[in-house]
Amino acid sequence: MATITIDPLTRIEGHLKVDVTVENGVVTDAKVVGTMARGIEQLLTGKDPRDASFVTERICGVCFGSHGWVSSLAVETAQGTTQLPTAARLLRNLIVGACWLHDHPLHFYLLSALDYLNLGILTNYTGSDTNILKLKNLVSAELNNPPIEGEYAGPFLPTYAADSYCVNTLDSVVLYVQHYLDALQMQVKAKKLSAIFGGKQPHQSGIITGGVTKLPSLDQVSQFRTLLNEQITFINNIYVNDVINLGTGPLYTLGTSNVGVGYQNYLSFGGFPESDGSFLYPEGAIINGVLNASSRTAIEPNITEDVTKAWYVSTTGGHPSLTTQQFDLNKTGAYTFVKAPRFNNQPMEVGPLARMMVALKRPSHPAYNHQAVQAFEDYVNQGFQAGAVARHLARALETQVLCDAMVRWLNELESLIQSNPSTPIHDTAHWTPPTTGQGYGMIEAPRGALGHWVRIASSKINRYACVVPSTWNSSPMDSSGVRGPYEKALIGCPVPDINNPINVGRVIRSFDPCLACAVHILTPNGPVKKFIINR
Amino acid sequence: MKAKVFTRRQFLKLSVSAAATLGLSRLPMGEKLFAQSTPSKKPAVIWLEGQDCAGCTESVFSCLTPDLRSVLLDVIDIRYHETVMAGTGAPAESALDAAIADGGYVLVVEGSIPIADPRYLMVGGQSVETTFVEAAANAAVILAVGSCAAFGGIPRIGIPQGKPVSYILSSHSISKTYINLPGCPLHPTWFFDTVLDFLAGNSISLDSSKRPLTHYGSKIHTNCPRRTSNSSKKFLSDWNAASQQGFCLYNKGCKGKETYADCPSLKWNDGVNWCIGNNAPCSGCTESKFYDQLSPIYSR
Repeated sequence: MATITIDPLTRIEGHLKVDVTVENGVVTDAKVVGTMARGIEQLLTGKDPRDASFVTERICGVCFGSHGWVSSLAVETAQGTTQLPTAARLLRNLIVGACWLHDHPLHFYLLSALDYLNLGILTNYTGSDTNILKLKNLVSAELNNPPIEGEYAGPFLPTYAADSYCVNTLDSVVLYVQHYLDALQMQVKAKKLSAIFGGKQPHQSGIITGGVTKLPSLDQVSQFRTLLNEQITFINNIYVNDVINLGTGPLYTLGTSNVGVGYQNYLSFGGFPESDGSFLYPEGAIINGVLNASSRTAIEPNITEDVTKAWYVSTTGGHPSLTTQQFDLNKTGAYTFVKAPRFNNQPMEVGPLARMMVALKRPSHPAYNHQAVQAFEDYVNQGFQAGAVARHLARALETQVLCDAMVRWLNELESLIQSNPSTPIHDTAHWTPPTTGQGYGMIEAPRGALGHWVRIASSKINRYACVVPSTWNSSPMDSSGVRGPYEKALIGCPVPDINNPINVGRVIRSFDPCLACAVHILTPNGPVKKFIINR
Repeated sequence: MKAKVFTRRQFLKLSVSAAATLGLSRLPMGEKLFAQSTPSKKPAVIWLEGQDCAGCTESVFSCLTPDLRSVLLDVIDIRYHETVMAGTGAPAESALDAAIADGGYVLVVEGSIPIADPRYLMVGGQSVETTFVEAAANAAVILAVGSCAAFGGIPRIGIPQGKPVSYILSSHSISKTYINLPGCPLHPTWFFDTVLDFLAGNSISLDSSKRPLTHYGSKIHTNCPRRTSNSSKKFLSDWNAASQQGFCLYNKGCKGKETYADCPSLKWNDGVNWCIGNNAPCSGCTESKFYDQLSPIYSR
């Protein structure tokens, strides 16, 4: 029996430590630790409610836009907004949609791919691609025995030794490295795309309480369309293609094994509002294979946060509108800054795989018939298990659903502007904070279900709480001894060589961790109220 | 740990053609360029993340100029960066140890460092404050990127008490050249111009807050295209009003009159837009008062 600590677990957002116990070549116990805390929500107390979207956006610099959006929804509800202008809804879908187009390929290439590529094989490269030759020289120098002093191939080396799940053929490694470099450029352009309507990225300034700040010109709409088309071409031809080739090729054995399979409970809050009140990605909760909730009003009241194993005062758990955040770093048995969200007391996986699984349980929802969702169902029927590879497949395929929707929303926006150049973008009537109010917002962010809860008193924020996708996923064990989703997914993970626990990182990264998000602080005291949800 | 100290000459040899590779036409003042082909040893960068959101990393990775592929392959050697490096766990820890031992690197810090208790941020079994102090000892220069590292940012009023680089250096009596590059996030051009200026041996003039004057030398208001609207008292009051497009955002809380940054000329994301251009008030994110002393963002 051996215990391995991986700290830092890199190529994620934020700070994460993983402790695993390995017996007979498999993981038998796992503890996942969020190792950093800031105290952001607590500092919002006493601030102007409209500051919340600006500040909470800075919870994370990777899923930018999502926090700003959901925060606006929460504060809008608290301030009395009942309906956002159509142009505002479309612009938010497009600003944040573009963030997803940057985020998903970045996660695959820049954060995940290096787990699957044997870069050492580049020493055999005899082609003429300039960038590959440069990388070959750097890798050759660092791997030279003895290493040539001062020659380092950072950030590509050093890394774990390649195993049987690594791509080991020269042509394939070259191709994926070329695409890694392409992705580096494309994610830059996706941020630029988002900034056309959002002002700048990261940390866009276009989404504010009540709507958005600017109705674009028709020139800007055309500019957005051109860059969007470039993204779609890359996503379809390179990104999705690569994930499918990898998943059905070198990673087929991994994909059809149990590696990284968790509880198979799935939660989605519904993502990207449509004009009829439905969502592009449907909402729902699946427990033990059964869809037992399919609306936000059925989901929200049954969310709780358990703090038994987290460094917070014991009495501070509960429904997000009731929890408080006070640190207790000396608490017995605690091992993380991440709280344990539960739905009906169950640990839930959130993110692309959850969204796909919910879609597959809702055949009357439009998402079900999209070719990408059908393709995912085919992979499930062909034997892919709900583990690491399935998450990468789900993430890539759901991007295609979003691409099609963004073309449609952009066309709608353009028609709207053409028919009414003064179409409203902001609920000005509810701009000024009321004396009191309460509200919450729920959306789907790239990594999963995201919610913010706010209470206003004396026209200032009295309480603020977030339950974030990576909180659900990187959750610790709860008071019933039930592990969180990452921890569960690690049980049974093969570690044939304790000096090379490469599979641990593969499983964790398949969830697309965002730990600055996962650790949050909030909550005030107060009775539970019923809220109207804004879209 | 033994510090490997580069002489200025050695460092220039490493760095100068790095700048040349990117086609920069700027020449150092009073320094001779070494005519040299692509160096065999690129300048090393250690990038530490404190209480960060990774927004500054994302922003540095948001430019088309310089070409990021060239940055990674030709210009710098990223020895340690938890968000992008291939190594994880033990290989990552040993990469950091080796890089610190070699010395002479550009040390970048993103995010604040908590001082209320070391347990608020532990990586690799020790507090990031400890790691930063170790890395600072052998650094050629320290760049505090983003408002959190430069001034404490949003986390400075949180319970864990996030502190900027300057505070940690001072509290440990470390005397080392550091440059503040605030912004929430910082602009990629502010980062690359500073790094490349340093590597090329250019003198970098800093203001009293240790921000480079090249990019932080003028107030937003000075160069704002809406300045005429401000003077003629045309203030935006309703974001819906087509007649108010281009109006001054002062009454929506704009802090441009007290904020030093060249956003009006650079704009953001390859010049495609910027906050004020999008009708969003300047939040003052490059100032030491940001965020708590500049709240509320959207009103006065």
